[in-house]
Order: sequence, then C-alpha cells, then structure tokens
Amino acid sequence: MSETIPRFAGFGLGLRKEHYRDFLETEQAVDFVEIISENFMACGGRPLRTLEAVRERHPVAMHGVSLSLGSPEGLDADYLAELKALARRIDPLWVSDHLCWTRVGGFATHDLLPLPYTQEALDTCVANLRYAQDVLERPLLVENPSSYVTFSKSTMSEWAFLAELSRETGCYLLLDVNNVWVSSVNHGFDPLEFLHGIPADRVRQIHLAGHSAGLEGMLIDTHDAPVCGAVWQLYARAVERFGACATMIERDDAIPPLPELLAELAIAQAAAALPGIAA
Amino acid sequence: MSLLERQFAFRAEIAAGDDAAPPSSRGMDIYRNAYRSRLLGALEVSFERTRRWIGEDTFQAVARHHVLTCPPTGWSLDDYGSEFPALLAGLFGNDPEVAELAWLEWHLQRAFAAADAPELDPTELGARGYSAEEWAAMRFTMATGFAAAPVATDVIELWEALAEERSGECTVTGHADAALLVWRSRLSPRYRLAWIDELHALEALAGGASLGALAEHHDAARLGEWLSQWLGEGIFSRGSPDHAGGEVT
Repeated sequence: MSETIPRFAGFGLGLRKEHYRDFLETEQAVDFVEIISENFMACGGRPLRTLEAVRERHPVAMHGVSLSLGSPEGLDADYLAELKALARRIDPLWVSDHLCWTRVGGFATHDLLPLPYTQEALDTCVANLRYAQDVLERPLLVENPSSYVTFSKSTMSEWAFLAELSRETGCYLLLDVNNVWVSSVNHGFDPLEFLHGIPADRVRQIHLAGHSAGLEGMLIDTHDAPVCGAVWQLYARAVERFGACATMIERDDAIPPLPELLAELAIAQAAAALPGIAA
Repeated sequence: MSLLERQFAFRAEIAAGDDAAPPSSRGMDIYRNAYRSRLLGALEVSFERTRRWIGEDTFQAVARHHVLTCPPTGWSLDDYGSEFPALLAGLFGNDPEVAELAWLEWHLQRAFAAADAPELDPTELGARGYSAEEWAAMRFTMATGFAAAPVATDVIELWEALAEERSGECTVTGHADAALLVWRSRLSPRYRLAWIDELHALEALAGGASLGALAEHHDAARLGEWLSQWLGEGIFSRGSPDHAGGEVT
C-alpha cells in the first residue's frame, strides 16, 4: 500500500450530470473534478464513457458516501471490490468517504449518520478503515460530516476523534469547512478549535458548500446554495493553517449553470492567494 | 447500549412511519426528514414520466407509502425503486398502464447505465460457418440491461406521448398477448413491443435454452425471423454452440 498522498494544490468542482456537456465540449478552468464514486460503480454505458472522457482532461478525486466507516457490522466486501475496480479504471488523485455510518441490519440509510465519539466507535472506525485501506491498497481521505445531534456518551471531540483516527490508520483528512461551520452552530463549539485540533499535515482536500437555515437556529447541510460569508472566513483560516491543498465547491441541489460555480471557485482561488494567507 | 444497538435504534427512529412517536429531538427530526426526502427524491427522478401520468398528489402519496414500507438495502441510491412498479401494479389494478409505464421507465434507466458487455456481431457469427447441429446447440447471453415482461396496454405509445408532452391527447389502448422488451445496444437503451410467444422464446434463451430446444415449441420459420431480428437489434451479448469453443461476441 502506498503510504503517502502528495499535496495537490488545485481548485476543482464536483462533476454533476447537469454539467456533463460543458465538460465534454469545452475545456473548463478547473484543476480537478470530484465524482461521487457510487454514481460510477458497477456501471457502464454513457455515464462511464463520460467519466473516462473527462478523466482524459482532468485529474479526478473519488468521493464516496456509502463506505459506512462507522459500522460495527464491518464493511461490505462487494462494495469495496466495486470501489477498487473503479479506482483502478480512473486512477484517481485519492479516494475519500465520511466519518459516519450509512448501513445497519441490512438496511441502507443513504444519509451520513453521526457517531458518538467514544473509544468503541474509534476502535470500529480504525478496524474498518485499516481493512478498507488494505483492500484498496491506498490510504483514504476521511471527511467530517455535518451533524444535528450529539451523544452524551461521547468522550472526545470530533476533531480529537479524527486526529486519533488519522494517527492510528495513516489516513488523510478531507476538511469540509461548511460542515465544520454547520456543526459548530448546531452544537455550540468554536470552529477554530476544530481547525486547530486536526493534524495539519494530514489534510489533503477542502470542501466548500452552502447550507440552509432550519428551525430553532439549526443549520442544515443542503449543498443547494452559494458558500456563505461565515464559511468563506473560516476557509481563510483553514488555508492559513493547512496551506495549499485541493479545494472544491460542492453543489448537489439547485445546481446552477457551470459559469456560476466557476465564478464561486474563483473566489476560493482569490481567498487562498491573499497575502498572508497562502502558504 | 453498544454502538450497534445505538445504530439500530437510530435507524428505527428515522425510518419510522407516520404513526410512530415524534422524533426525540430537533436533530432527529432533521435526520428523519432527510431520510424520507432523499428516498422520495430518488423515486421522483427515476419515475418522472409515471409521476406526470398519475399526477403530483397521487404520486407523492404512493411514493411516501413506498418509502415507509420498502426501506433501501443497496449501497447505491440509484437502485432504490426496483419494487415501485410492483407496488403500482397492486394499487392501480384497473389502470395497468401505470405499472407498465413505471416498469419501462425503471428498466430503461437500468439499461442506460448497466455494466458494459460486448454485443454479438451477427456478421462474425455468420462467418463461423456453423453446421445445422451447431446452430441447434447455439445458446446466447442476453445484451446488457435486458429485461422483458408481459403488458396489457400499448404503453410505448404512452411513453412517447409523455416524452413529447402530448399525453393529454393519448388514449391508453389495451394490448392482449403483448410483451415489452428492454435492452441496451452499444450506448443506447432500446425498447419495443413483442408478442407473448416471442417473450416466452426470449425468456427461454435467457434461461439457457438452446435454439434447438426452442424449435421444439416454435415454428421454424417464425424462429428464423425472430433470430434475424434479434441479431440485427443487438439483443444478444454472446453466442456459442454448446460443444464448440470460441464463443462469438
């Protein structure tokens, strides 16, 4: 297994169906694209041809939503085999998924569900992540999800959990700045404490996204709006701490024309290049 | 409570039906809503024309029932909805075109993204110079995305009317002894109506029967016409006589 993932300081977008034609017909000003792995696993036909054509022009990061790293029942071997087959075909920058669980008792949830930050959960994630990395023969990136509940049994913070997970497994981190902001508002912690609590040398990618306001002051990670001011400010602090690493805008709903997302990506590029911020 | 027990309880709370207790917190309410809306959204995307045919309110009611009674088991959200046509068949027994439309919609999407497979080249098959005995022993692998089912209506007319947004002009007509075929040829999903005896022949081939076995139940001339049509349509991925090596793709 390759133990290291080199830094890649580019700016990218999620590859979504709405923009397939844009990417196929015109050279787009992105340094990489990120795909949802499951959209192309056990798949063929035109979707796969599209991905392969885009891959000829751009590096691709594979981002999964169904690994279910926090499952005490273990990981799905068939799922991992399909994920590995796609990785072999695409030769991605890296493969990522979330610190969450998405499956229990034979049922899928199709949502990134929260874990209590306990030793038992850490042991589960460590075992699953080691297994996944062995099967995939590469270190993974693990992303912090947004969350809407906390657990009284938690014995550590989310950032301490991620730091320990990375230390024990050698995994890298995908920092979702919007998720840090959403969870910090929902649970009342200092987002800067999160940024300073994760190991700077393990962060390889940053996600930026929009969110929505829910009831009773809670924020919901909807990926259906532009990045808000608070998240841009937090991004600037993240760039200060983590230096140049791959940054992308995630939009999964109310997807605008590509030029709008490219304009938003240009803001990220400008923010990262500000004197005193860029590494 | 162990981590696993906690996850079982968590899932039960977010997947609970309308008669269950309210969520235990605002956060759990968000998770429950997200679970339902994500699955509803998947059905809306997968059954867009069915949704337009039965109307928004009816579709939402049926889809919501499906979400609450048929939880997902696969890791891909694209797989959610495979049992939705069967639910519609039960609910719309007097309007069979509803379930047939959903079946067509579902299988065309499956065929569109189905795993790649070679397509049997009829020219190369013909060039093999197989003997009559070898043709009788010929077995086929169906094209990727192949699916077939009996239908009671001319659902293709409805499907195409909905594509052209002229379903208001479309009268659903009954279609006795008919079947619907779906498969993918190269990158394009294909579909057409067939007679029920052709469906039975294709089901037999898909189940591993040889051409010789089919000839015991079907007129030879008719079987020859079908074979010519099937090969031209790209409905097979592979073909080979039982006892001969070098299967043709």
